[in-house]
Amino acid sequence: MNQPIISFRDFSFQYRSLSEPTLKGINLDIYPGEKILIAGPSGSGKSTLAHCINGLIPFTYGGTITGDYTLRGKRPADLSIFEISQTVGTILQDQDGQFIGLSVGEDVAFAFENECMPQSEMRPLVEQALQVVDMLPLINQSPHDLSGGQKQRVSLAGVISMDTEVLLFDEPLANLDPASGKKAIELMEDIHQKSNKTMIIIEHRVEDVLEQPIDRIVVMAEGEIVAIGTPDELLASSMLQTHGLREPLYVAALKYAGVGLAKEDHPTSLELLSERSEVRERLSIWLEKELDITARSASEPILALQDVKFSYDGERDIIKGVSLHIGRGERVALLGNNGAGKSTLSHLFTGIAKPSSGDVLYGGERINDWSIRKRGEHIGYVMQNPNHMITQQMIADEVSLGLRMRGMAPDAVTARVEETLRTCGLYGYRNWPISALSYGQKKRVTIASILALQPEIMILDEPTAGQDYKHYTEFMDFIVSLSDQGTSFLFITHDMHLALEYTDRAAVLHDGHCIAQGPTSQVLTNIEAIAQANLKETSLGKLARSTGVAQPEQFVRHFIQHEKKVKRDE
Amino acid sequence: MSKSGTLYIEGDSLFHRMDGAAKLFMFAVWTVFVFLFQDIRIFVPLFLFGIGLLIAAKLPYKRIRFFLWLMIVFNLMNCLLTLLITPAYGSKVWGTTTVILNLGYNVLTLESVFYVLTLTLKYMSMMPITLLFIFTTHPTRFASSLNRIGVPYKIAFAFSIAFRYVPDLQTEFRNISNAMQARGMGFGKGEGSYRERFKHFVSIAIPLVQSSLHRIETVSNAMDLRGFGRHRRRTWFSATAWQRADYCIAVICVIVMVVAIAVRMNGFGTFWYPFTSV
Amino acid sequence: MKQSVLNFSTKTVVAIGIGAALYGLLGNISIPLIAQTALRPAIAILTIFGAMFGPVVGLLSGFIGHIITDLTWGGGQIWWTWVVGSAVTGLGMGLVSMSRSFNVNEGSSSTSHIVTLAVAGSLALAVGFGVSSILDVYLYGEAPDKMWAQYGFATVSNVIVHLVLGVPAVLGLLKLNRRNSNLKVMK
Repeated sequence: MNQPIISFRDFSFQYRSLSEPTLKGINLDIYPGEKILIAGPSGSGKSTLAHCINGLIPFTYGGTITGDYTLRGKRPADLSIFEISQTVGTILQDQDGQFIGLSVGEDVAFAFENECMPQSEMRPLVEQALQVVDMLPLINQSPHDLSGGQKQRVSLAGVISMDTEVLLFDEPLANLDPASGKKAIELMEDIHQKSNKTMIIIEHRVEDVLEQPIDRIVVMAEGEIVAIGTPDELLASSMLQTHGLREPLYVAALKYAGVGLAKEDHPTSLELLSERSEVRERLSIWLEKELDITARSASEPILALQDVKFSYDGERDIIKGVSLHIGRGERVALLGNNGAGKSTLSHLFTGIAKPSSGDVLYGGERINDWSIRKRGEHIGYVMQNPNHMITQQMIADEVSLGLRMRGMAPDAVTARVEETLRTCGLYGYRNWPISALSYGQKKRVTIASILALQPEIMILDEPTAGQDYKHYTEFMDFIVSLSDQGTSFLFITHDMHLALEYTDRAAVLHDGHCIAQGPTSQVLTNIEAIAQANLKETSLGKLARSTGVAQPEQFVRHFIQHEKKVKRDE
Repeated sequence: MSKSGTLYIEGDSLFHRMDGAAKLFMFAVWTVFVFLFQDIRIFVPLFLFGIGLLIAAKLPYKRIRFFLWLMIVFNLMNCLLTLLITPAYGSKVWGTTTVILNLGYNVLTLESVFYVLTLTLKYMSMMPITLLFIFTTHPTRFASSLNRIGVPYKIAFAFSIAFRYVPDLQTEFRNISNAMQARGMGFGKGEGSYRERFKHFVSIAIPLVQSSLHRIETVSNAMDLRGFGRHRRRTWFSATAWQRADYCIAVICVIVMVVAIAVRMNGFGTFWYPFTSV
Repeated sequence: MKQSVLNFSTKTVVAIGIGAALYGLLGNISIPLIAQTALRPAIAILTIFGAMFGPVVGLLSGFIGHIITDLTWGGGQIWWTWVVGSAVTGLGMGLVSMSRSFNVNEGSSSTSHIVTLAVAGSLALAVGFGVSSILDVYLYGEAPDKMWAQYGFATVSNVIVHLVLGVPAVLGLLKLNRRNSNLKVMK
């Protein structure tokens, strides 16, 4: 093989403000034309590695480097960030942050403008790049009229137009709904095949990335590279699971069923696996096992929408007659792609928007006229990003804020805060400044600050966004423990895994209509609804279908119960 | 503002076709022109001329209505305030006093009424050009135009960034404030004392600023990674070339400016009052 | 890394843009008292951005931000004289960050810094609005007495915003960013 384009030798890096190195003893060679997935949980150092590759380290973030990193044989210190950016093109995670232009065309041309390219030359190049990502008809659109996936494609066009040898994707799936994510991964593969560029994808959602071919996976944990191998090698091993990453669901199911997987079995291919008779037999035996977890019984509705319609301009309905209810102590998922009307629906619950017709019912009472504040006493709302909610310096102050604003007596506030912090496992941190907490802990603080108000139901917007599998599991188990104490939860999400594992019922919203509603395992295997709403069927459903061992719904239910049992036994 | 935060209205008038820099130049000359004079005989025709241009640009009245309304409210308030505080100021300007009303602490004079009328027309004569500029210039043209008339490109680009992120920040602000209200925070009348309501604003400001700081970091990384600031100048994708009309208008503007300054230097165009003989 | 005044780093350019967007956006929220004179919570943005990024960002955020506010709320008028006032204010708010030991991002400050911010900011408002008022008299021909009344009102109300909203917000950010050592999980 020829010379590596990117090469790390005993490389370590420590940010100036931190006391521990973030990257330790990295040895990695990436060869031209390779397609690499760098996976690892939050805090594993994978984003820092990306910063080293694209030059943000050392040019924007200072720190101490030991060992060697070379890009096409040169050390970055001998180059400038501009020169590096001509070899490595980066697509950042935040689609709005990197869409700088006021129109699609302008954003793609950004690098050309900075290179002082004459206007007449840049136009055809911009159009060409937009053609590659299939966005040419939208060249004059403003970013505010585009979806997240479309913005990402524009950014990709901007990078492709620079014709860099390496394309670096920093968590490309983090802010995308399942359908856009699938498209993005397909587009990457398409570009890879056509241009044979070196591609580095930083991502913790392994299953989604593996829907398209990958040459090698690099697994990182705690600042070190813990495994490098082909996808087949790594799926056959337990490396992903050990290091806080989630295996593809079908692989997990096969492992539960006791199917031995070797790399020769091509565990990346669900199709090949399901052709094997051994797989079918094992799965059938597994499915016959009795799992004694009974479904939770239905309870009376606490919050409901009855044939609710809503429109912003009085002309076009955004919500076109939705009926939905959440029972006491129930966990319900509201699924749907971006733009399906999910956030509008949550606004209707919390009073930010008022229905143009239909009723919002709380415990049977019509609450259409209640203000946001009044509803807030019964219906808690937690935003996706905890940093959008936190206003106080100390945890205890943040949690007591709402109580104090309601004029509760100081003694009572202290008692309530203490109780809430204990419930949320934050009591030990009560005198900590919030700035010292991790993202997941901050998220917990925001839950605590709402929980302290003792709402009967909490609405969580994308509760697991930006969290890796380990933190995600911890967080959701915490939510389950709260729900077992009687609080109802509505999750607004496009995360199928979340719905699958943590909710009793699910509703699918599409284009302002509720197109499916019922027990989660049933809804998630309803292919028509899933396809219509642009969601993605989980690989469990696919496995059930292609092996034919059971009805998808039954298969999925069995899998969830098995997982619960495993968890309970731990 | 539309969803995208622009006020631009699609159209095909002379002003839509004009280059942003030429428009900006015209806007600047118009502004200086208005500043130079205090004479109602100049403002009335200028205002009417401006209205003529607005009509020629075929901007839908529906979109302009709000601005007209704002302007009327502002002028009424300003006149009232002026007359209330200095009801005899007009007499100071022209040296004659024609009392129309005795207010007790002072007298209201006819001169003052004419003075506020002059002032109102002065303000009003600025409106048409501002509206023309705002509604016919696409924001993507704005930064390149500023750069062309001599503003350093980094400052011009800061304008572009501001336009780009106003709508995003607006959404974020709304989300934060809604979440705070749901926690029992009040901003409106009757939702706590002034002190409390004020404190609530601090509570929104902190998360908004924190997330803005985060945004600054992301955006500047994205720009660095694509070579922003590498050279002393840059080109602009959406810049337009000057047409004959642009040159004509620029020349007319220069001529008008020179004439105006000459006229003003000869003492013409200070406050004019029709009812006295000078 | 000292550079020429106009050769900003990318981060400075972005800070100006975002600061202006925030100032321009929040400029819409005001409790109007009289024309062009209102309690404007937006002033606090200049306090914060000045303190964090310095006088240049303060000045240009004030300048651009004010124009953005006027584009929608100026009633078909950009109030150039008050745009200048906002710019001067932003400049003054940023003076404190010239001190090396003051750094909001790292949570380092002393009482004297806060006093400087409070005083310099208030003075900047007084000077900035003074400039605006004088320009109003000369460029628009406003009545001086009325302008003084308006000036007094605008200055006092916005100094209040600066002191009650801006400075506490900076204090809040300083506290949020202060590094904490010796944190132990308590029982």
